[in-house]
Amino acid sequence: MLSALALSAAALTAPTAPAPLPVAAEAILAEVRKPGAAGVLVNVWATWCAPCREEFPDLLHVARELAPKGLRVILVSVDFPEAEADVAKFLTSQGVDFPTFRRIGKDDAFVDGLERQWSGAIPATFLYGADGALVRFWEGKASYPVIKKRALAALEPKEAR
Amino acid sequence: MTPKLLLAIPLVLGLHASATSAAGPLAIGATMPMTDAKLKNVDGTEQTLAGVKQAAGTLVVFTCNHCPFAKRWESRIVELGNTYAAKGIGVIAINANDPKAYPEDEFDVMVKRAKERGMQFPYVVDATSNVARAFGATKTPEAFLFDKSGKLVYHGAIDDNGEEPSKVENAYLKNALETVSQGQDVLVKETKSIGCGIKFRS
Repeated sequence: MLSALALSAAALTAPTAPAPLPVAAEAILAEVRKPGAAGVLVNVWATWCAPCREEFPDLLHVARELAPKGLRVILVSVDFPEAEADVAKFLTSQGVDFPTFRRIGKDDAFVDGLERQWSGAIPATFLYGADGALVRFWEGKASYPVIKKRALAALEPKEAR
Repeated sequence: MTPKLLLAIPLVLGLHASATSAAGPLAIGATMPMTDAKLKNVDGTEQTLAGVKQAAGTLVVFTCNHCPFAKRWESRIVELGNTYAAKGIGVIAINANDPKAYPEDEFDVMVKRAKERGMQFPYVVDATSNVARAFGATKTPEAFLFDKSGKLVYHGAIDDNGEEPSKVENAYLKNALETVSQGQDVLVKETKSIGCGIKFRS
């Protein structure tokens, strides 16, 4: 009883991140194009990728700050299936309380399906405008001010960028 | 007319080479860059791409020790490298990662890994990461295969399933190696896989 109470108390202080939904590239682009966002940021990451882990808090910082301005953030893990527990643990430790995704299917279809300019290197970050068109993408980690500046630009109307 | 043409060709080639090194990978049909750069091999010798080149064709694979994707493909890279080195293809694996970012990518770990895996081809350090930059390589693993005329004929993934070797449907690099070793034209020239971004030295 006591341990159950302790567990639920711990669960209250640190809500478990929702399990990532398995998706192919098309489903991610469908999420990007769902109406209602002023801009969309997609980040492809993995628990084993050090630069991905390093930039994660900065991405989430930008996500929280710019959510009121209409930024939608889509996190896509490319971890191997057996790393499911590591992914859940990491997302929870980062305080992620919104739905995220994990990649399914072949690399080639996933990489080219998401963006032809992308080489497949991670981390990779993609920014889309309200119309769902790609505004900017980059490979490798970026710092908080850089991510924020680029995300703010994507939120601007097309002609103001 | 002829002298003018002769003059124009090297100029165009020069522009092309600088464009590919600045952004994007080496284009299909391009020749190997930085063939004279000295690269320290796991056996302690110094290697160059020019020295590794073979008449039948040459395979350059950017890989490393730490990357989980490179690890998944590692035994397949070694098997392909050993097999086609024996068939007269020049083979070299290059680690361009800055070991300051990933201690597992240090030289002594490369030596150990090459021994454990039974690599029968050079596994070298790109000590400036400039060879990777010149190829426009961005991740590990990433393969570049040149044919007998020295032109790039295949760039990209080892195969289409890093996670599960038993579920590979398209053995891209193996097919390309077989085709090149027979002196024929490679059909699938460019493929992609997810990999660890190369940590370039600054």
